[in-house]
Amino acid sequence: MYMLEAINIKKNFNKLEVLKGVSLQVRQGEVISIIGPSGSGKSTFLRCLIGLEAIDDGFVKIKGKEVNTYRDGCTEMGMVFQQFNLFPHKTVLENIIEAPLVVKKMEKEGAIEIAEELLEKVGLLDKRDVYPSRLSGGQQQRVAIARALAMQPDIMLFDEPTSSLDPELVGEVLEVIKDLALEKITMLVVTHEMGFAREVSDRVVFMDEGEVLADTTPEEIFLQPEHARIKAFLDKVF
Amino acid sequence: MDYILNVTGFILEGAKVTGQLYLITAVFSVLLGIMCAIGKISRFRLLRIIIGFYTWVFRGTPLLLQLFFTYYGLPVLGITLEPFQAAAITFIINYAAYFTEIFRAGIESIGKGQYEAARVLGLNYRQTMFRIIIPQTVRRVLPPVSNEAINLVKDSALVSVIGMTDLLRAARQVLNRDFTITPFIIAAILYLLISSVIVNVFRKLEERFSIYE
Ligand SMILES: Nc1ncnc2c1ncn2[C@@H]1O[C@H](COP(=O)(O)OP(=O)(O)O)[C@@H](O)[C@H]1O
Ligand SMILES: [Mg+2]
Repeated sequence: MYMLEAINIKKNFNKLEVLKGVSLQVRQGEVISIIGPSGSGKSTFLRCLIGLEAIDDGFVKIKGKEVNTYRDGCTEMGMVFQQFNLFPHKTVLENIIEAPLVVKKMEKEGAIEIAEELLEKVGLLDKRDVYPSRLSGGQQQRVAIARALAMQPDIMLFDEPTSSLDPELVGEVLEVIKDLALEKITMLVVTHEMGFAREVSDRVVFMDEGEVLADTTPEEIFLQPEHARIKAFLDKVF
Repeated sequence: MDYILNVTGFILEGAKVTGQLYLITAVFSVLLGIMCAIGKISRFRLLRIIIGFYTWVFRGTPLLLQLFFTYYGLPVLGITLEPFQAAAITFIINYAAYFTEIFRAGIESIGKGQYEAARVLGLNYRQTMFRIIIPQTVRRVLPPVSNEAINLVKDSALVSVIGMTDLLRAARQVLNRDFTITPFIIAAILYLLISSVIVNVFRKLEERFSIYE
């Protein structure tokens, strides 16, 4: 049984066909990088999975069960955004315990314990009581990852987690994501970091104009891309 | 000197009325403003239209006209109110109309990334509004709210025309009796004192709320 299945997802914005029937199967513990030119629908695909956008056709299954994440929300998935979207009026710790407290109704002590473990893991325990505005972009993104993990999701979605970071801060965030990969957390990562995609992912999905052009191993896609369009894309980014 | 203390004491009695009206208006117009702002961004079209009509009317007509309407107009329809009641109701509804627009603009200034972050963490709409969005708007609306708070000090003097012995009217009564301008000077000083206190309160609040910026 698959952890996550997307079956023939279609999405239009007005007349614009952004997803033209995207399917993807993800097993427990798999790390999948999604690459492709900008505007090809990568973000929209993740947003449809987690229910930030309604899908027009197709369906999503989690552990074999069909779900309507747009209507019901989705606690099985966590998401990390390009712009971090931390809550600026809450400290690092408060950001992380917010959802465990109000959504899971956890005891405060237990939530803090989990939060501190996660902060340790992302290397920011010393920033526990600081407001996000005092952190660098890389630190903010690591907190955002900890915040998503605090809800113990089965699947983590990353939408270009390092794209708005200064180059010298990209590494620290990728390191954290790599550690998660080692822990066998199921992850979909939209990224332009080809080195990362190649090194960390089990599979690489190439999207173009709302379609999946390739869904294969990193070796295959980077060493012998079948499609001319994939070749052109890779030539441009390397 | 005795005379000045005496007069000041009398005017302070009026200031008490002004102060009561001020506090009642401040508390209830802010609460009503928050509720209407939330209504104005809700998905209920009819509610949005009704609130839009309300703010249009109350921000687009003079406060004095509204006050006359409540105090002199409503009795024609069989509803008679004490001056203080009429003043409080009018001021609350009028100021809430301004606060509605201020809070709505504040809420709308929060980016959609905050809503999306809250949603993917599983927060519902209520939790998102009251725990994530509205707390962030507080800092942003403090400057315009502070303006309204000063306006309210000055607008409160309007109630003297419906026979309430507020700060201003108390001063005028002394002037009529003793034929000296001293009471007006005392009144001006009292208004300035009140305004300065309010400005300072808001300055403190803004400092307090900028810790996360
Ligand atoms: N909310 C929206 N309304 C209208 N068009 C949108 C919206 N979101 C995305 N699009 C369009 O959908 C296309 C795919 O966008 P996106 O999924 O963000 O691509 P990618 O993440 O691969 O760069 C783009 O042409 C974009 O302009
Ligand atoms: Mg994108």
